[in-house]
Amino acid sequence: MTPARRPSRAGSRPSRSSGPAPRTPVTAVLAGLTGLALAACGALPPLPDPVPTTLAGTSAPLASPSPSPRPGSALSPDGFDAAIRMSVRIRNVGCGSLSTGSGFAIDHHTLVTNRHVVSESAALEISTYDGRDVRAQAASTASLADLAFVRTVDPLPAYGGLAPLDPAPGAEVTIVGYPRGSQLTMTTGKVIGATTDPLDENLGEVLVTDARVELGSSGSPVLDAQGRVVGVVYARGEDGTSFVIPVSTLRSLLDDEEQVSPAPTCTG
Amino acid sequence: MPVLAAGLTLTLVAGGALVAYLWRTTDEWRATSAGWETLAVTAAADLERTQGDLAAAQEVLDDTREQLGTAQDRITELADEKAQLGDDSAAQQQLADYQARVSQAAGKVATALATCIAGQEQLIRYMDNAEAHEPAALRRFRDDVDALCGQATEANEQLQHELEP
Repeated sequence: MTPARRPSRAGSRPSRSSGPAPRTPVTAVLAGLTGLALAACGALPPLPDPVPTTLAGTSAPLASPSPSPRPGSALSPDGFDAAIRMSVRIRNVGCGSLSTGSGFAIDHHTLVTNRHVVSESAALEISTYDGRDVRAQAASTASLADLAFVRTVDPLPAYGGLAPLDPAPGAEVTIVGYPRGSQLTMTTGKVIGATTDPLDENLGEVLVTDARVELGSSGSPVLDAQGRVVGVVYARGEDGTSFVIPVSTLRSLLDDEEQVSPAPTCTG
Repeated sequence: MPVLAAGLTLTLVAGGALVAYLWRTTDEWRATSAGWETLAVTAAADLERTQGDLAAAQEVLDDTREQLGTAQDRITELADEKAQLGDDSAAQQQLADYQARVSQAAGKVATALATCIAGQEQLIRYMDNAEAHEPAALRRFRDDVDALCGQATEANEQLQHELEP
């Protein structure tokens, strides 16, 4: 049997033990204000950080203006380009003849120039870009190319590196030399292409450039944009072109000493 | 009512604290702003001074570059002048050597010719009085004179060789 439920009156007060006590409006307002105040605390402006005594530099350093780089533009203490310092003037004092040409250093005591610049000489007189004399020791020439190597007693001021490959047609080149035996000059041009040697002085192909050269420019280094040697001037064309022995030929001669022999000299 | 009073008190306390905090914050920000303004003025002055120093340094650098360029040009000119003088000196030395060789060859010619002429004159005198000399001795003397004149001819050929362009 289940006990009978006691009926209750409508609108009677609920028992205290049946739930939480009801809030008064004032309490609710206070609670709301408190909550609002607490929430506002998060929106309050913070105290400022202390002002530093000095401003630390945060920007990148200003780039200093500098002249545009040129081939072989590593500068020496006297401000000359490496391309200029490696170039030399060669005077061939023959037996009743006198001629000049150009050359360049490939190490501290070795010059590269043309065979026809050093052949039939009684003495070779070498001078640098700043007029210093460099004593020549011995010259050797190649039989299959118009190239020669001169060993020097005195150290050379600078020397250049050889490019690994021949320049492609269209490549920009710079020629440094002593045209007509006068002042050291830099001329620029582009490689036009390759051809067989019109003078039959060289085995294999030679390069043609539109860089102007003169008598006396023979033996000048031909440099690429990085200042590396890509060839050696040995002749000029009728139409203002110049003929260049490619660096691959020079490399092959440097690698094979049997292809060079002492340069012919004159006596009397 | 006590609850209301407590709530109002709490609210007043909280409000007071808030006002005090905001007051202090405002003061701090005002001081900081003044500090930053002072720092900015100082930095602007430093920047102006540094820009002036940079402009002066750039001017000095430009002057130095110009001087370096002038010095390099002069070095190149002097090197060229020295080279040209060397060429001239070598050419003059070759000319002097040539003139010495020509002079020496001409001297040999003159000496050989003088000897040749003297021998021929002596031979003529011997021939004028040929009976007084043995024919074999005359022939030997004539051959000697021919040899002397041949040396003169060789010396002349050497001279002509030197004179060839």
